[in-house]
Amino acid sequence: MNTTNGARGTAGDSRAESAGSSMPAVSSVIQCSGVNFFFGQGELRKQILFEVEFAIEPGEIVLLTGPSGSGKTTLLTLIAGLRSMQEGQMHVLGYRLHNPGPRDLLEVRRRIGFIFQAHNLLPYLTALQNVQVMFELQPNVSAEEGRQRAARMLEQVGLGDRLHYQVARLSGGQRQRVAIARALVGGPQLVLADEPTAALDGASGREVVNLLQALAREQGRPILMVTHDTRVLDIADRILELQDGRLASHSTGALSKPAAV
Amino acid sequence: MSQRIGLSWLQLRHEKMKLFAAVSGVMVSVVLMWMQLGLMKALFASAVVLHGSLAGEVVVIHSQYEHLLHSKVFSSRLLYRLKGSPDVVSVSGIYLAPIEWKNPWNGEMRSMQCYGIETESPGLSIPGLADQLASLRQRDVFLYDRLARPRFGNVVGELERGADIKPELNRRRMKLAGLVDLGASFGIDGNLLVSHANFLRLFSERDPGHIDLGVVRLKPGVSVEAAQRQFQQQLGEQVLVLTRDQFADIELKYWKSATPIGVIFSAGTFVGFFIGFIVVYQILYTDVTNHLPQYATMKAMGFSNAYLRGLILAQSLQLGLLGFVPGTLIAAMLYAALRNVTQLPLTLDPARGIFLAAVTVVMCALSGLFAIRRLSSADPAEVF
Repeated sequence: MNTTNGARGTAGDSRAESAGSSMPAVSSVIQCSGVNFFFGQGELRKQILFEVEFAIEPGEIVLLTGPSGSGKTTLLTLIAGLRSMQEGQMHVLGYRLHNPGPRDLLEVRRRIGFIFQAHNLLPYLTALQNVQVMFELQPNVSAEEGRQRAARMLEQVGLGDRLHYQVARLSGGQRQRVAIARALVGGPQLVLADEPTAALDGASGREVVNLLQALAREQGRPILMVTHDTRVLDIADRILELQDGRLASHSTGALSKPAAV
Repeated sequence: MSQRIGLSWLQLRHEKMKLFAAVSGVMVSVVLMWMQLGLMKALFASAVVLHGSLAGEVVVIHSQYEHLLHSKVFSSRLLYRLKGSPDVVSVSGIYLAPIEWKNPWNGEMRSMQCYGIETESPGLSIPGLADQLASLRQRDVFLYDRLARPRFGNVVGELERGADIKPELNRRRMKLAGLVDLGASFGIDGNLLVSHANFLRLFSERDPGHIDLGVVRLKPGVSVEAAQRQFQQQLGEQVLVLTRDQFADIELKYWKSATPIGVIFSAGTFVGFFIGFIVVYQILYTDVTNHLPQYATMKAMGFSNAYLRGLILAQSLQLGLLGFVPGTLIAAMLYAALRNVTQLPLTLDPARGIFLAAVTVVMCALSGLFAIRRLSSADPAEVF
């Protein structure tokens, strides 16, 4: 893939423009304001998000909670550049996602580490290859360096002895740890996690979240995690709560600790 | 497209049965194409084996000559006039006619092509012929085509056993004096060579002064085209003076227009191509469909459409390569088997190999390109 240089050019343009328009967005990891989002057309048109406004600063770990159907996943796909914005403004990692340039969405995605509800590993690859695959997006990293960095990352998530296991031979918790390694190995500027504990039992879920928190803290990476697993709320610096498509008032407040602590 | 960990291949080999099916499909297609093209080429090549064996650069025929089975005689005096030309080394006249072969073992009558040649200057360069010219001068002997179809009896086998073979030719008892390699073709199941004298004994009604083919050998360095023009002028319009290739073209042109062989085998080749295309397309298409969530995940993680397209295209080409090699090996075995049965000059021509490899690549790439359209259904927004 030799398109990186050209794409950087486009990205650079759009970033420069946001900076020039005196938006405070540039320093924030995520800056969104007045975001409305609708599904469907005409009479079936249904509003999913209402005037959503928040920011995430570098190094923050933020949880996004709320009941099913509250719009969490939709918001996440907008932030990730997987869906087109309709109304409002959204800046992620300095890229403008409303009226994006032709390759901006792709460039944003490449700078995000994704962790999915169901690991979404490639079943035909080993643990190591699944992590290595991220370096296909970074042509400047040699194959050998990619292999070494992937192996080191897997050691960090405690799978140093499982490098060459096929996905099918790993347990649920192990798979999710491979997914974490895959999300972090490329040095993402933001980690987006969608219910990473949903498919895991309590102990494994806890382990995975702790690992994610520790690694993110160590590398200073901001995390936005969608979850309604109340057992893991304590890892957050901040909790945003969506209800019927609106951010609940208390979620803009500073640190909210779970009641149990 | 950089695929440094060989993603396309790792994915392809993950499901062994599917890989096997796809490779088999390509293989069948490659074998079919080899067979169709090979048979077409061999059939046409077999029609001009004699033309390629003529020992001369220039050929003289009657102006109404149609093809080897429908020749027309002209006066040999015309041909022998060319002997006086300073450009000519030698000239030789050849008689030809179909002859009745009576199978000496079961009495069946079959037609063969009989050539009457001058034993001093045979006008043919066939390996092994020169050594047998002396024995060909004897009365009532003939040379038999080793590559004749088996319907004339186990002639070669019996000869090798040391048997004396004396079949009736045109109701005349003749003795087999040796073997030459010529080969069967359209309408010609086998060939016989005899001397001029014996030819006239077999065909008593023929005028000795009229021949079917005149073969002219030029001195080295003489321009064939110039000599051809000059001889044509010298001999007049009753005969045609041709280069050897032009003479062969008459034969090829006749069989191409008289038989649907070209159309049949071209259609067969296309069928082979189509089978390969459909099989590879079907397999890649279902493969992409089955892996849509994976492709959506990859899109979400920042893999571009171009990268994913490259992945599928690479797979289609890998399938092509995997199918082409064993397909060609199978074709080689079938060629060998068919050569024995049909005596057709079937060979794995390297140039055709390159052509078919290219056709296979195009076939697989096309299937890949069609299957790629399925990729657009992978929606990265659905991965969460």
